[in-house]
Amino acid sequence: MPDVPHNAGYMAAAYILTAVILLAYTISLYRRSDRR
Amino acid sequence: MSLVHKGRAITLVGLALLAVDYVRALAFTPIERLQGPAQKIFYLHVPAAIWTEAAMVLVGLAGIGYLFLRDPRLDRFAAASAEVGTVFAAIVLTTGPIWGKPIWGTWWTWDARLTSTLFLFFLYVGYLLLRGAVVDPGLRARYAAVLGICGMFLVPFIHMSVYLFRTLHPQPIILKPSAPSLPGSMLATWLFSLGVFSLLYIGFVTQRYALSLDPTVESERTAGHA
Repeated sequence: MPDVPHNAGYMAAAYILTAVILLAYTISLYRRSDRR
Repeated sequence: MSLVHKGRAITLVGLALLAVDYVRALAFTPIERLQGPAQKIFYLHVPAAIWTEAAMVLVGLAGIGYLFLRDPRLDRFAAASAEVGTVFAAIVLTTGPIWGKPIWGTWWTWDARLTSTLFLFFLYVGYLLLRGAVVDPGLRARYAAVLGICGMFLVPFIHMSVYLFRTLHPQPIILKPSAPSLPGSMLATWLFSLGVFSLLYIGFVTQRYALSLDPTVESERTAGHA
């Protein structure tokens, strides 16, 4: 498929960022419940 | 099993399935010919957007319920849903521009869909700040309920904005009156992704709800069920 745009870097950035946000919130909830 | 442990278990299952979702979306779902690999951001961006909006609708419904019933559980649920909605809104507002740059040629444009979604994020932040600023629990619940109801009425406007205004943002290809306009393999991956985000919402809200309970009450409740 020679005419497909080469923009995998944007895709990778979005997937990594989403994982980071979800993991950061998971860790935040763990730490807050452990402090109680 | 305490509520917080139930929430943790659901979240861990959700995160494990998110890894499966990543593999399925990146390796086993076809690349769209015109947009290229960047189109795969769709499998994260749209489910996150749906739960950003659904979370605010649930905040508003819980607010209406609280104003009628004065049940603190509804207020606690609204607070939990708002916090999780903020997290999903952050995902929408970061993955959106990353998708927009290679497809539209710009990170951001002040069109109706993007701007109203940004307003929803600000509303979430304002809601959480309001809750932090009011000390009295009764007043806090009442004020938050009213703000949550206002936020709920913003959601249909966000969904309809692509029909009401000329925008760069595409119109819905799944949540529309006619059949979804994408191949079965892409639709299956998207539905799986929506299921994963739904599980994460439930897991996060359960944990956040448990955090807002009085620890002594929570431990008594757990002991009572042991």
